[in-house]
Amino acid sequence: MANVILKNVVKRFNAVTAVDDLSIEIHDREFAVLVGSSGCGKSTALRMIAGLEAITSGEIFIGDTLVNDMAPKDRDIAMVFQNYALYPHMNVRDNLGFGLKIRKFSKTEIDARVQEAADILGIEDLLERKPKELSGGQRQRVALGRAIVRKPKVFLFDEPLSNLDAKLRVAMRAEISKLHRRLGATIIYVTHDQVEAMTMADRIFIMHKGALQQTGLPMEVYAKPVNLFVAGFIGSPAMNFFDAHLVNEAGQLFIDGGSFRVAMPEDFRANLVAHAGKEVVFGVRPEDIALHRPGADVGSTISAKAEVVELLGSEIFAHLSCGAYGLVARMAVPKQPIGVGETIQIDFNMANMHVFDKNTSDAIV
Amino acid sequence: MKKKFVPTLLFYLLVLIIALIVLFPFLWMLTSSFKTQVDIISWPPKLFFEPTLQNYRKVFEEQDFLKYFLNSTVVGAVAVGMSLLLGLPAAYSISRYAQTKLAVFILLARLMPGISFLMPWYIIFSRLGLIDSYVALILSHMLIALPIVVWIMSTYFSTIPRELEESAMVDGATRQMAFLKIILPLSGPGIITATTLSFIFSWNNFMFSQVLSMERTKTLPIAVYNFLSYAEVDWGGVMAAAVAIMAPAIILTMIFQKYVVKGLTMGAVKG
Repeated sequence: MANVILKNVVKRFNAVTAVDDLSIEIHDREFAVLVGSSGCGKSTALRMIAGLEAITSGEIFIGDTLVNDMAPKDRDIAMVFQNYALYPHMNVRDNLGFGLKIRKFSKTEIDARVQEAADILGIEDLLERKPKELSGGQRQRVALGRAIVRKPKVFLFDEPLSNLDAKLRVAMRAEISKLHRRLGATIIYVTHDQVEAMTMADRIFIMHKGALQQTGLPMEVYAKPVNLFVAGFIGSPAMNFFDAHLVNEAGQLFIDGGSFRVAMPEDFRANLVAHAGKEVVFGVRPEDIALHRPGADVGSTISAKAEVVELLGSEIFAHLSCGAYGLVARMAVPKQPIGVGETIQIDFNMANMHVFDKNTSDAIV
Repeated sequence: MKKKFVPTLLFYLLVLIIALIVLFPFLWMLTSSFKTQVDIISWPPKLFFEPTLQNYRKVFEEQDFLKYFLNSTVVGAVAVGMSLLLGLPAAYSISRYAQTKLAVFILLARLMPGISFLMPWYIIFSRLGLIDSYVALILSHMLIALPIVVWIMSTYFSTIPRELEESAMVDGATRQMAFLKIILPLSGPGIITATTLSFIFSWNNFMFSQVLSMERTKTLPIAVYNFLSYAEVDWGGVMAAAVAIMAPAIILTMIFQKYVVKGLTMGAVKG
């Protein structure tokens, strides 16, 4: 096992900068997830770690070794591809053993390791089959197995679950997490799916337009996004944003969105006061919106019209409109159903709200 | 059902007419090869005649057909083999590193009239003392085979996902090993197509062999010339020889028809 360090790594394809000055350190035995929308450079970053893509400038270390000019085969890594990339002309056993065979492992060692990997993944019965005779989920397991048998320093996963159906994806998510604990391996996992990132990662690295936006524990990036992009990317449904003014009246700070006005909690005053009078973006997560309980004055009650109410069984997603703004609320199923077109009173949980500088997109609180 | 009957009939009638037009010279050749010289030149042409095998006897007994057959086979096989050896890695590199300029350059060599190469070749080969040698013939036939191999195979390699060899490279293979162990075993249909087509083109080639070979290395198409003399043209012999020459090419095509058609369209549509 080993840590992986990227120092000021840049990748340019002609005029396009795919990865821009990326510096990250992935610890030994860590499950690191690189997440971002498509084209953000996360896959390119992974491919540079694998050695499948040359780096334009910067340094990549695996363990203590500088691997910039090292061929993929010498980096002691294993990679799982989105389309599995199983060798179609070999059966599962040969697919699993291929990497060991060309590294000149003994026949008995190969057999033992293939058997071990097959046991871990529950694919003993499939060893003699060709990839085309396997289902998507089985192929995924074989692809994982091919990485496991190698016992590499670092595992690289490039969107490995994207080609699976939703149900299988949830199951494999848990399985990969379990595998990580069992192997105690360093894993770098690339995905565009923030749910995968949140559920599996020890640490999340969020990328956008080739640059690293934020690094942190899943709960950190969820609770304290550093900018508008991260705030909008992490969380489902996405955070609600309102273009608003921050006004300072009689010693009290308000967010003035035109069609609504809410008072800011006193705790945030120190950070916010310098921005008074300026344009800001006000952000509230859907789960921080609740129906107003009569009698409780929280100073953040606003009226909104219900446009669509999606019933999920355990909870509802209420698509609301408030003046020119649209917002989504995620709440418990109310005792009294909300009718479409009905005007309701909602409260924002102001302790969890976010304010961003409109010009720089950076978080203020 | 009744409504459909007439258009279907018309369709097949049309197919039949086109097939007749296309196959007419072939039929003419085939029937003439079984006719006597008198029957061949008689007018109107005889539809019914007493078939004779004397033309074939001439081809196989009086002519050294086996020698020409071996010459054609050796030249075609070695030229195709060397073209595969050079062309497969070249095609792989063109496919993976998007070397379109190189690909166009190779195509250009194919598009240039072959006769423009012949004069310099003749001079070079005769100075090297290689006229009537297998080396000269094989090299010239590689001009036919190599572009076919490169174009068909570069298109074929492009249909194989890159991840396969990337996966092999991460697994511990060099790019060369990934090519040999992963990509080549998956390229069977493409290689069969390229081999069949380029072998047939080499087999049928007349011009290069006519100029660069003499009695020792004479290939089959040139052997047909043996039936033309100052005094007369032995049409029966020519036709029988032509049938004998075409037979292997036709058999090859029929065996690998599936791949050949696929290969032709592949080059045409995606090239």
